[in-house]
Amino acid sequence: MSTNDVKEKEVLVSVKHVDVTFTNGRKKFRAVTDANFEIYRGETFALVGESGSGKTTIARAIIRLNDISAGEIKFQGKKINGKLSKEDKQWVVRNIQMIFQDPAASLNERATIDYCVSEGLYNFNLFENEEDRVRKVDWALEQVGLLPEHKSRYPHEFSGGQRQRVGIARALIMEPSFIIADEPISALDVSIRAQVLNLMNKFKKENDLTYMFIAHDLSVVRYFADRIAVIHLGRIVEIAPSVELFRYPLHPYTNSLLQAVPMPDPEIEKAKTFNAYDASQEVMDETSRLREVRPGHLVFMADSEVEKYKQKLEDMEKLHHAE
Amino acid sequence: MSEKNIILSVKDLVVKFKVRDRVLTAIRNISMDFEEGKVVAIVGESGSGKSVFTKTFTGMLDLNGEITNGSIMFEGQDLAKMTKDSDWEKIRGKKIATVFQDPMTSLNPVKTIGDQIAEVIIKHQGKSKAEAKEMAIELMGKVGIVNPELRFDEYPFMYSGGMRQRMVIAIALACRPRILICDEPTTALDVTIQAQIIRLIKDLSMEYGFTTIYITHDLGVVANVADVVAVMYAGQIIEYGQVNEIFYDSRHPYTWGLLSSLPQLGEKGEELFAIRGTPPSLFEEIKGDAFAPRNNYALKIDYEQEPPFFKVTDTHYAKTWLLDPRAPKVDPPAAVRELHDRMLVLTAKGGIYGEH
Amino acid sequence: MTEMDKELFTFQRADDSESEHIAAPIYSYWRSVFRKFFSSKIAIVMMILAGIVILLSIFQPMISGYDPMKTPYINTPSMKYIRPNLTYWFGTDDKGNSLFDAVWAGTRNSLFISFMATTITTVVGVAVGMWWGFSKRVDVVMIEVYNVISNIPATLVAMILVYAIGSGIWQLIFALSITSWVGTAYFIRVQVMIIRDREYNLASRCLGTSTFKIITHNILPYLISVIMTAVSRDIPSFISYEVFLSFVGVGLSEKDPSLGRMIQQYSPYLVSTPYLFWIPVVVSAFISVSLYIVGQTLADASDPRTHMI
Repeated sequence: MSTNDVKEKEVLVSVKHVDVTFTNGRKKFRAVTDANFEIYRGETFALVGESGSGKTTIARAIIRLNDISAGEIKFQGKKINGKLSKEDKQWVVRNIQMIFQDPAASLNERATIDYCVSEGLYNFNLFENEEDRVRKVDWALEQVGLLPEHKSRYPHEFSGGQRQRVGIARALIMEPSFIIADEPISALDVSIRAQVLNLMNKFKKENDLTYMFIAHDLSVVRYFADRIAVIHLGRIVEIAPSVELFRYPLHPYTNSLLQAVPMPDPEIEKAKTFNAYDASQEVMDETSRLREVRPGHLVFMADSEVEKYKQKLEDMEKLHHAE
Repeated sequence: MSEKNIILSVKDLVVKFKVRDRVLTAIRNISMDFEEGKVVAIVGESGSGKSVFTKTFTGMLDLNGEITNGSIMFEGQDLAKMTKDSDWEKIRGKKIATVFQDPMTSLNPVKTIGDQIAEVIIKHQGKSKAEAKEMAIELMGKVGIVNPELRFDEYPFMYSGGMRQRMVIAIALACRPRILICDEPTTALDVTIQAQIIRLIKDLSMEYGFTTIYITHDLGVVANVADVVAVMYAGQIIEYGQVNEIFYDSRHPYTWGLLSSLPQLGEKGEELFAIRGTPPSLFEEIKGDAFAPRNNYALKIDYEQEPPFFKVTDTHYAKTWLLDPRAPKVDPPAAVRELHDRMLVLTAKGGIYGEH
Repeated sequence: MTEMDKELFTFQRADDSESEHIAAPIYSYWRSVFRKFFSSKIAIVMMILAGIVILLSIFQPMISGYDPMKTPYINTPSMKYIRPNLTYWFGTDDKGNSLFDAVWAGTRNSLFISFMATTITTVVGVAVGMWWGFSKRVDVVMIEVYNVISNIPATLVAMILVYAIGSGIWQLIFALSITSWVGTAYFIRVQVMIIRDREYNLASRCLGTSTFKIITHNILPYLISVIMTAVSRDIPSFISYEVFLSFVGVGLSEKDPSLGRMIQQYSPYLVSTPYLFWIPVVVSAFISVSLYIVGQTLADASDPRTHMI
């Protein structure tokens, strides 16, 4: 999908001025500061950051696993943070599902695959009778390339890739419209990753899904995402359509993430120089916020930095057109 | 590799584990020579045996594991026959040191970083306390700790993950090992930190002249660190060669699969190439080529008979029947053939990763 | 090139679903638990011995009809203090009754008290502990309750209670379990807090699973081995408690025989007729040790980590 038609699309998820603060005894720790972004229906939105950047915290706030301390999260225009009625909670669960990072940790080891996949169905009685339930489970398993005979098995009998597919099946069976995938492939073996990505892409097409894809580096999202937000220490520093971000990476942190992607090519990799990101080079004052520099391309900067970024963008554009 | 300086030579190594009442063959007959001073990367997925393989060099197999066959020659000794802890202590840490994935497993949380390094220097190099402290501070500086004098008295929990890993490297280097085994040292770290640690290991190996055995599942990291690459699958080395040979002229279908399924190479909107299926269970006897059921280029013979190593060049060998003169001619998939060109395009803009 | 070679060197693609099959036999939790348990020889021996003791204590008193209040031979000196022999395996006591009968009747009561107290402690402790581990509000209250109760010696509480409500089997069970569940509850609370926020529980919450169902389906099955450990520790400790309380004279009344009472009663005979004292002591130690070992082995065996690869 090209960036233009995303623009006209309907906003599915909106995150406005969201702060998440954790308290540990007397100590307060702000994991996310003033997060602002929108996810459009039908796109894959990637949130990229390193450990401790707050990316998982935001995801868990959307799916109501964490409380937020300020701001508002909306899904299909309806507020979904804070206290909700029972019906609204169910509506959120049925519409938003999550795929977890570690398939070994996110499945109940003491439950059969049958139960793992049916769990959501049981919770909301989403089946007419036992026969219907079995049919649905078999369908979900088939979708992810597993066999009906696997139902009586336990998670530990499966390989990592198979387990992750069980995790996808149990989300899929809820027929959600929005799936948050929290680093779904980073715990998997390299030879299995492509399988899982292909599977996720297939479901997106078939079921008209919207994804929020969380990643710790940029290599996967270039392939997988339509739009990318880069987050550093709880702040989103840059948001742009994926092609745009790789073409004009403006924020220095985005740049260092791009440099850090290890390339499977010895000549290139050995010639590469690496500059570590130094946050102290950035201006940080009360005027610092995300500003749009090109359509759909936002960079976190202070008033005093506007000129600098303008210049940087112009240079990049010149370079790009020269090619 | 005959006239080269071989530091460690493994022959016909077989390692088995008893898990409950079943036997798992983790290493299925590996022979490999490690050349002194080189960085050798061992690539494989989890369960391929890459960690187990190197653990045999330091006698750190889990209790239920056992070397049932083969030899590991190092400085005229056969490490495979070594059983006594007192013998191992002369090798482990001293001559062959290991840096693990999780730095906290190697650090003592209740001792200061400086003391932990100095202690090793005192023990292995017989220096006095004052000398050891001086050397420890120097080492801390070498591994990239700013103001090492001030940080000498800090505890591991006061350090970030990347800094801790630097300290583990400093401790490993304190006894001047001949071989440094790096077992996924950056897997738990962030990408930007990973790049720094890899650089550090490379720089130090140049400076100190030790041999590095680098275990990883990430081909990008391999491309960066390695001089020589060994690809492992299901307890065997299936291809090895110089780093350029593996990336630009690989011969084994598994290596092809690994290279072409990398998301770095993916084209948006198109399916990624994916290796089918799942790795085999090492509890069962494997007949023929272990990769055959997942191999798009599998031959009938792959299901019957294990392939031998075929020589590609003097430094490049691959264990696949496709190299047999009787086999039909197969070209590597396009993604592998065009890897370098594609990468050049991808990184055209000032060498950094970008649009395609 | 021979024909056979030609044949061998043709392409052959394996079926995709082939690699999805799991060859290992179907896993069953309880089968694995028992297999693991029965792989320990000492546990089997201990289980057989404990089984014999339990069966003897259930059935022997029925046959003998032993009643400590009936003392037909109390005026027959020749029947008293008979040392263990083929007729009276454990000899006779100071009232001329068979000690063998007395020991099993006593064991029966001691075991009954200990099993009941353990059951109450475990059921109440686990239920409260689960709730405690999940609810912040309950935590605030319970932690104070725990602090108070764990600082008062349980024996003292039991002694005062028995004084207050009188002696008897049920009174003793009540006195023993009134405070003991708090320890179990605290233990379970800690375990719940450790696994409560594990990813698979978050996943269940994302699927809309209620807290109650998370407790019964996700948490309890993981705690079986931990609960088994607590049970195997509680049973012997309640036996010792009963022995101790009876020994200091606040346990059971005259009409209820128990191991503790016998030990207390016969301690003056330690020099003159030592078997009267030592036989109940050995039986009580024996029960404690064998049940403890069986329980610990079962706890190990029921930890899923020991049978997963």
